[in-house]
Amino acid sequence: MPHDRDDAPPAPEVPDAAGGPSAASGDVPRRRFLLGATGLLGAGVAAAAGVPIVGAAVYPLDHEVTSGGGDFIPAGPSGAFGDDPVRVDLHADRRDAWNRFEDVRVGSAWVLRLEGRLVAFSTVCPHLGCAIDYDPKARRFVCPCHNSVFELDGTVVEGPSPRPMDRLDVRQEEKLVQIRYQRFKQGVKEKVPL
Amino acid sequence: MSRARKVLDWLDERAGIYALWDQAANEPVPGGARLRYVFGSVLVYLFMQQVVLGIVLASYYSPSATDAWASVAHLQDQVTAGWFLRGLHGHGASAMVVVLVLHLVQVVWAGAYRKPRELNWWTGLAMGGLVFAFALTGYLLPWDQKGYWATQVATGILGSVPGGEPLRILLQGGHEYGNLTITRFFALHVFVLPGLLLLLLVAHIGLFRRHGVTPPAHLSESELARADRFIPHQIFYDVLAMAVTAGILVAWTIRSHGAELFAPAQPASNFPARPEWYFLFLFQLLKYFEGPLVLVGTVVIPGAATAFLVALPFLDRAQSRRPKERMPVLAGMGALLAGVVALGVAAKVEDAGDEAFQKALAEARAEAERARALAAGGVLPEGGEAVFRNDPQYEARRIYAERCAGCHGRFMEGGDDAPALVDFGSRAWLARLVRNPRAPEFFGKTEHDTMDPYSPEDLPDDQLAAVVEYIVSTMGDEIAPPADPALAAKGKKLWEDELECNSCHEIEAGAEGDGPNLYGHGTVAWIAGLIANPKDPRYFGEEAQMPAFGEKLDEAEIQALARLVAAQRASGAKAGASAGQHD
Repeated sequence: MPHDRDDAPPAPEVPDAAGGPSAASGDVPRRRFLLGATGLLGAGVAAAAGVPIVGAAVYPLDHEVTSGGGDFIPAGPSGAFGDDPVRVDLHADRRDAWNRFEDVRVGSAWVLRLEGRLVAFSTVCPHLGCAIDYDPKARRFVCPCHNSVFELDGTVVEGPSPRPMDRLDVRQEEKLVQIRYQRFKQGVKEKVPL
Repeated sequence: MSRARKVLDWLDERAGIYALWDQAANEPVPGGARLRYVFGSVLVYLFMQQVVLGIVLASYYSPSATDAWASVAHLQDQVTAGWFLRGLHGHGASAMVVVLVLHLVQVVWAGAYRKPRELNWWTGLAMGGLVFAFALTGYLLPWDQKGYWATQVATGILGSVPGGEPLRILLQGGHEYGNLTITRFFALHVFVLPGLLLLLLVAHIGLFRRHGVTPPAHLSESELARADRFIPHQIFYDVLAMAVTAGILVAWTIRSHGAELFAPAQPASNFPARPEWYFLFLFQLLKYFEGPLVLVGTVVIPGAATAFLVALPFLDRAQSRRPKERMPVLAGMGALLAGVVALGVAAKVEDAGDEAFQKALAEARAEAERARALAAGGVLPEGGEAVFRNDPQYEARRIYAERCAGCHGRFMEGGDDAPALVDFGSRAWLARLVRNPRAPEFFGKTEHDTMDPYSPEDLPDDQLAAVVEYIVSTMGDEIAPPADPALAAKGKKLWEDELECNSCHEIEAGAEGDGPNLYGHGTVAWIAGLIANPKDPRYFGEEAQMPAFGEKLDEAEIQALARLVAAQRASGAKAGASAGQHD
């Protein structure tokens, strides 16, 4: 057979990409040319699939993959809301990559009257996104995950939340209260819509 | 000493990387580097590329019967370069088959299956089988019409061989195709087959390194003694061949705009199922055997061919590797390949000359285009087929079922007090109405009874045809059949000078009379106007029994309904029956 393997470890030859003394045949310029051409062609082969793969991989960075809400959503008759917060589920059509959903729950809000004005807070905690509860005895909002506590006007009483509860836009048409459901960046001081 | 060298030295002391590199790079190639040795390397490249592309595809794919098609359509038509990557993966499979055959031919020609390389040969054959298993399992995953129906044939064959039925049920996860079929095919395609192939590949390459290349048989001792190193000589040829392959693959993918995606799988439909081109020979073989002989096509012949390949090292009794001495083996191999090619070509030629197949294929492509356009709006979670609910016609059918079916019948066949809508406004419909407006399909079940029937004695057939043509000539929209101008002119004259139609019916746009204005009768606009307000003086006036829908439905809904009714004319009674199928 052309080639019997020696079990003893070969002498530690130092590899040399440009063709050093270990080159057994061929002159150095030819070796260099072959290596360079091999490298170039190999890079081309890798790029043929690699470049579009990067394009597909980063697709979610600059495309809206999910959407839903954003518009004003009916939340209930204005008479349903008073000085104590009421939790309402907001239904809207939703897109999620290849799916569309008709009239599904996209989120919920706490709605109450503050000094006569209707106010809606997102139930999503600005800290890390848990759902905020209401404690009727204390008349305060409480996040069950990391114990952030909020006043009825949304300001932070204690706990790790970096900002007050996120207010949602409210409008009233005839007797119907409508809320614009939005999500905001979590864990930062500023309220930044996503 | 450079910092990089220091790191390498550190690694070498612990892992012996220089020795490994030396083994890999300085592998001698006896007789010199050759282009004919490149096929194995090209296959490794293609496989690796399939793996990487497969990972990208998997990150946009959802293996469930309800989600698969929509997720593939999303990848194909929305995701950046999605069509290209999916095309590259699909065509990459084809390229693997081509290079596999070239590799096989080169190995057989060189006699590289002979002692001591039998294990090489068998691991290679097994990997070849795996490539086909990859193709078969991957074909189903988009859950489109093509994959669904072609794979039905494959699992059907499995079920028809003796003892194959339990295997079929196991493979497809039940008696019918469904979620478990797709999860199983996905698991096979993505985990099992790549794992097996990788194991075999390691063994195959290990064995290859042990025995080295098989140089051409005619080389002398001294020619064999002249050995090139793997790097840079053979690797240059290898990478050159990879680059050529990649170039062809990219060009092919761009030219074909990727892999085809048909409409979502619909178990109740007809589809001109054809396997991928490299399975066509098997597909064609099945046409020649009937009844109990079917097994000859599905098992005996393919089994014999496989057995021939496996037994090749034993069948070859020649003294040396020289092709001249191995004529029987080479002839057998040649006959096998020729048979495969001939069957494949026969299948293609048969399809090319088959008008019904070509028509069905064109229809399937049109449906695919429609489905993919509709998928851009998102697919309801009910599944791939639900994409057609994005069609305004679907919405129209829903509204019809809700608002109209109660009186006009679920299939537009008419109800207890309303006329049928099947074939509404066609020439035949108009003629039938004039002969007997009080028939149940017209106004027989309504209170509209002012129009008298016209018998052939009062109105001969040729005059009726002319009048009908005159009415049709006023339609002038895209759904109307082209009017015969001469006949229409004759009808106009009859209308104006001889017949009494005009004592009730106006036929000037917008004019009001006792009966409905017939200008543009049956057009979408005419029907929409009627739906919006039948009490309008242009229609039935105050006597109208049908409620006005102008206040109950919006303009788009009325237009959609009008198009639905107008479409009953083109498709006749049959379409009337299918109008309710999605209710």
